[in-house]
Amino acid sequence: MRLLPILLLIISCITVEAADEYELQYPLGLKRMPIPETNELTAAKIELGKQLYFDPRLSRDDTVSCASCHDPKKGWSNGDHFATGVRGQRGGRSAPTIINSGYSYFQFWDGRAIMLEGQALGPIQNPIEMDLTLEECVAKLNAIEGYRKQFQAVFGTDVDSVGMAKAIASFERTVLSGNAPHDKFKAGDEKALSAAAQRGSKLFFGKANCSACHAGPNFSDFAFHNIGVGMDKSEPDVGRFSETQMLGDRGSFKTPTLREIARTAPYMHDGSVKTLEDVVEYYDKGGFANPQLDEELFPLKLTPEQKADLVTFLKEGLSSEDYPDIEPPTLPK
Amino acid sequence: MRTSILSIIAVLAFSLAPAWADHHVTTVVDGLDNPAGIAIQPETGHVFVSDSGASRIIRVVDGKAQAVITDFPVDVYGKGPMYNIGPLGLVFIDKDTLVVGGGGLIDGEELLRVYKVPAAGQAAIKADKMEESFKLSPTDDIKGEGNFYGLASNGTHVFVTCNGDDTKGWVSRAVIKEGKLANYKRFLATKEATEVDAPVAIAISPRGELVIGQMGEITVPGDGLLTFYNAKNGKLLLNLETGLSDITALAYSPKGQLYATDFNWLNTSEGGLYQLISKEDDGKQSIEAKKIESLDKATAMTFAADGSLYITVIGTGEGDAKGGKLLKIAPGL
Repeated sequence: MRLLPILLLIISCITVEAADEYELQYPLGLKRMPIPETNELTAAKIELGKQLYFDPRLSRDDTVSCASCHDPKKGWSNGDHFATGVRGQRGGRSAPTIINSGYSYFQFWDGRAIMLEGQALGPIQNPIEMDLTLEECVAKLNAIEGYRKQFQAVFGTDVDSVGMAKAIASFERTVLSGNAPHDKFKAGDEKALSAAAQRGSKLFFGKANCSACHAGPNFSDFAFHNIGVGMDKSEPDVGRFSETQMLGDRGSFKTPTLREIARTAPYMHDGSVKTLEDVVEYYDKGGFANPQLDEELFPLKLTPEQKADLVTFLKEGLSSEDYPDIEPPTLPK
Repeated sequence: MRTSILSIIAVLAFSLAPAWADHHVTTVVDGLDNPAGIAIQPETGHVFVSDSGASRIIRVVDGKAQAVITDFPVDVYGKGPMYNIGPLGLVFIDKDTLVVGGGGLIDGEELLRVYKVPAAGQAAIKADKMEESFKLSPTDDIKGEGNFYGLASNGTHVFVTCNGDDTKGWVSRAVIKEGKLANYKRFLATKEATEVDAPVAIAISPRGELVIGQMGEITVPGDGLLTFYNAKNGKLLLNLETGLSDITALAYSPKGQLYATDFNWLNTSEGGLYQLISKEDDGKQSIEAKKIESLDKATAMTFAADGSLYITVIGTGEGDAKGGKLLKIAPGL
């Protein structure tokens, strides 16, 4: 008889957890995302992560949130050359889009963090971004009852940095873009791409050599390549080399996704290229020669018409009508 | 549909039992310079090795290396670390006819060479004294091919993994006709089939399927694929994630067990020999890669008729000494 209440308690716990399970919906063209077993998605965790993502109180002067540099209205980037943090401080690299970032093992342009859980707390602690220690940030959030209650419900603890990372990562995993004209065309809808975009697609996956690195469902191999950008400077940003100390990684940066690329200007890791037309011109010339220039860069000899077709494919083919235009939530008090 | 999937699972079962754990590794030859290919000569059982950086093919008799073909062109692979590479993959199509994949010329000019090898004890021949040679030149839309890394023969064709066009990832194929090769062409666009870079390792399964190890990106861990294709029509039969990083060689033991070497470019101290054990989860086939032996930058392997496994490693030389070795694992795998 004494077993019955225990059994009922176990069943009720299972039921509560099962009701909160979150099944990620993958748009056409995307594959199943690798999600750590230690951070399975739940609706409550995603909602909590969304609030944290949009909350400027995660910064020292309450002015900068994750969304400040990764803004849904600006392609989940910031429309600027560089990321701008508290007190108007500017970093030396552009803000990469969050779109489909859950698929990438390495995070940041130089891959210094592993998975989104490894990335999420980095900008909070960066003195030129959000400028808080984790202890300070946790203390600030624990003073907000709404967060404390949610952390108790989701993680069974007060606010802590591990839970913050898990929640933000969970939310970011839901920022997906697929079902673009390219995906529909590939799935058999012959009218999904204009004639120019179809010609551009053929170039993208052929003569223009784009898919050598911008490959797979996310149009990124999520690997590191030196394409010469910034290597003309006397002291260039060495990128991935700073993490690996391997000479071959000098000047290498992670291949960005091209999904929603029309929304994420300016381009390259330093935001130095303003338009997609300029990007295509850069690649057509074969990049900037340097000892570690990737062998996939070489003069393409594209005609003006081919360049235009390629840009049309990038703009038209990879922009989804289901763009994840997520509105900021009401923040807890 | 279910029937066909099950039949594929049945057909492609490759390694069902764990390997014999108590194996014995010996060094047969050392002082090699980036060895990158192995073939066993029919009838004699002599082991031939591409001593790639030394621009030669050697024959190993009684533990002694004899030069067989010399003066191959040599190029540099990688941006740091850098490896000198000349001849790469090897395969015999009969006792005296050796096919050699080249790596020392630029893409499009690279050669697949066919030699009549001199008998043991006779003088070496020069690399340009081949019986015939083939290349895969560029076209308006397709890049030229090069780095013919992995070679395998099923008796009617020679298959070659190529690493020129990274938008396609070609496996090429030539017909064997009366001790000669003919009709050398691009056969399989593996990157289009798998959306992952770089076919490198190659083997023929006991049932005749073409088995390809897709290396993936050298800067990304764990992205290596094992893929099975119909050797006649090139149809993709099965594509499995392995969790290995940079698969350089595949080989079936006389017992029918499949093995892979992982170079593991990012962390070569973690590289080694793995048995690929077939698993089934909810009716879906998967792989467990079980480490058999740690190896220092393994590049190629092949089983001899008696079940001995020969493996080449680049190794780590001290000072100016070359660290390359030919290793032997006693029969039993």
